[in-house]
Amino acid sequence: MNKVHVKLLMMAAVGSLLFSNSIVAQDSAYSPKILPPAPRAVRVRIMQGPELELANDKSAIIRWTSSNPGGTDEHFGVVHYGTKPMELSDTAKSHIRLNQNHSYTVFRVRVEGLSPQTTYYYTVDSMGANGTSDGVRSPIKHFSTR
Amino acid sequence: MTRVRLTRISVVVFCVVALCMSVTGGKASAQNATSSPEPIYNPYPPGILPSDLPSELARVLREVDSVEAEAITQWHAIPPPVVTGNPPILQNTGVPLVEILGKLMNYDRTISPNENRACASCHMPYAGFSGPIPSVNLTMIAYPASAPYRAGKRTAQRYTYSSYFPPLQYNATQGLFFGGNFWDSRATGYLTRAPDGEQSQFPPVDPNEMANPDTACVTYKLSLAPYRSLFEEIYGAGSFAITWPANVASICATPGGAAEFGGSATPVDLSPGDRTVSDNDYLHWAQSMSAFEHSLSVSPFTSKFDAFLAGKYKLTANESAGYDLFKGKGNCNSCHLDGRSTAPAPTAPTAVDTGVAADVTPVFTCFGSANLGLPKNPRDSFYYETSPDFLGFTPNPAGFTYTDLGLGTFLRSGYGSSGNPNSSWTQFAPTSDGQMQTSTVRDVAMVPPQCPTTEAPGPYFQKEFFHNGYIKSLKQLVHFYNTRDVYRMEVESGECPAGTVEKVNCWPAAEVPQNQDMTVGNLGLTDLEENQIVKFMETLTDGFTAPFPDINTYTGTCMSGGNASTQGNSTIISAVKLRELMKQH
Repeated sequence: MNKVHVKLLMMAAVGSLLFSNSIVAQDSAYSPKILPPAPRAVRVRIMQGPELELANDKSAIIRWTSSNPGGTDEHFGVVHYGTKPMELSDTAKSHIRLNQNHSYTVFRVRVEGLSPQTTYYYTVDSMGANGTSDGVRSPIKHFSTR
Repeated sequence: MTRVRLTRISVVVFCVVALCMSVTGGKASAQNATSSPEPIYNPYPPGILPSDLPSELARVLREVDSVEAEAITQWHAIPPPVVTGNPPILQNTGVPLVEILGKLMNYDRTISPNENRACASCHMPYAGFSGPIPSVNLTMIAYPASAPYRAGKRTAQRYTYSSYFPPLQYNATQGLFFGGNFWDSRATGYLTRAPDGEQSQFPPVDPNEMANPDTACVTYKLSLAPYRSLFEEIYGAGSFAITWPANVASICATPGGAAEFGGSATPVDLSPGDRTVSDNDYLHWAQSMSAFEHSLSVSPFTSKFDAFLAGKYKLTANESAGYDLFKGKGNCNSCHLDGRSTAPAPTAPTAVDTGVAADVTPVFTCFGSANLGLPKNPRDSFYYETSPDFLGFTPNPAGFTYTDLGLGTFLRSGYGSSGNPNSSWTQFAPTSDGQMQTSTVRDVAMVPPQCPTTEAPGPYFQKEFFHNGYIKSLKQLVHFYNTRDVYRMEVESGECPAGTVEKVNCWPAAEVPQNQDMTVGNLGLTDLEENQIVKFMETLTDGFTAPFPDINTYTGTCMSGGNASTQGNSTIISAVKLRELMKQH
């Protein structure tokens, strides 16, 4: 066996040691797999709720399910609320991450800084990361803190 | 007196003086490899440090040394490259050489001032390159520094797939940050272009970790390493052509943060030219570490799930049910992207996944961050380090009042993080408060083969989850996502009301209540469905289609008994009690 054979054998041994699987078609470390936002839905419909998920004496979680609004993955559920049904002057919003593979999206919003044993009226909406409203048409609902 | 005799006497005198200085000054000699001569820093009340800490640290050192010896052998088995072309390329073996250099540096404990901490001391392969000491994972969370027992504030993240995070960027279309490394994304990669490489530059000079006082100390230690010639072969014969000051060894044997350094990050006095050589060597350190972490030794895509995607493994009933939940009712893949494409026109009712597999190597993360509303973990060592150590360094003057705002802290260049290199990002700090990196789900369940699970009753290997180690099992992890808001109570850890069990039907208050992600918190999963998601997560452990290198390096014992829902609850100490103990201490 001559030197070339030895070298080839060693390289093969090293190759099998260090490249023990086939070279998988991996993305480069430097190409980010960042999905673009999904197209925005033409109309966003509420399928379930909005309703009170839970409340204590100073906060509440409001929940509803709508069709997937599309747009940025970073989304916000928005609750406009107040103690009078015609004056929903306060706003609460919470992060929701859209799932581009789901037809429906569950929104949940934490409403805080409330007074105990008080009835609050509210409507809901959702918006993308840049603040653009999804134009959700919501009934006026109410809940009470404990 | 003859000249020779005078010289001999001078040498003897010098040695005696040097010996006296090294003993009284408390500086470690190169031979003193397993103990530090400094007094131990122990500001902790009883019960914070695990009782087996010294023996466990010694165990890890033995394991680190054995893998380093293996790496030396592997290095010597690689044929030398043929240097060809312009720019010159290390033809044939450049890739394995750059990777093995990363491995050699990763497992080299002489890099630290007391020669007792390698990178691997907190990142061992059998835990997916995360924390290797079960009792630390159960108690103090952060791993003791080269200067024991200083410690940081967060868990040691897995290396696996960290190279797939891009350099930190703000994507205006999505209104989100992507990329970077570390829980708070502060290893942006703005210079190295590889965030995992930049990450590897932080612990060697973090006073609560490997604790070098100057990055030039890493260069100095590399110049003394047995693999110095490999570094020069790859990065240039002049890599260590540096004129070191006479006191370099003693400076580099003193942990960083010491008052004597007066806050300077460059106590090693080098000429501007030599400082640049050293800085460039530190960039090469980062490059080679990144190559190692990207390699098949760390990120190989050899899990059951990868075999399933290739049509070579059939998921069990529970694994399949778990996968359906992961992409359906559990909604995990909204952030932990599983590589499925979006359907063109979703028509399925309810939360049913309508995509198809598009990416054959999904990394199970969106490369972004989220605030999951985790409770504060009062057992975290960081809260107790409010007094100075014997070098005059105080790791955390703020004590219990310290709040970890994660990405928000970094964007403000705040205490406990590092400088934000892009002031246009600072405006996003308030909405980023509390946000921590969305980890890859891959290898979250990786354990030494002899302790085949993370879950009690086991036999199991105890790991720590999320940034503050509050969660101690995958069952608790899924249960937290599932019921955080259902069982949330405005109490601290250890203060759950009578009749409730912490982590089962009582979740203490969020450390950072604002900006909480509401995608999780009330998923409506049953107990069985939670268990099925855990089974699915376990299919993401590498080492199925091919052995995971160095998986068999754990020489400790397994734990057994108890159950996964209350795993670790026996080590909960009430936050109220801990603060009282601190006052008395």
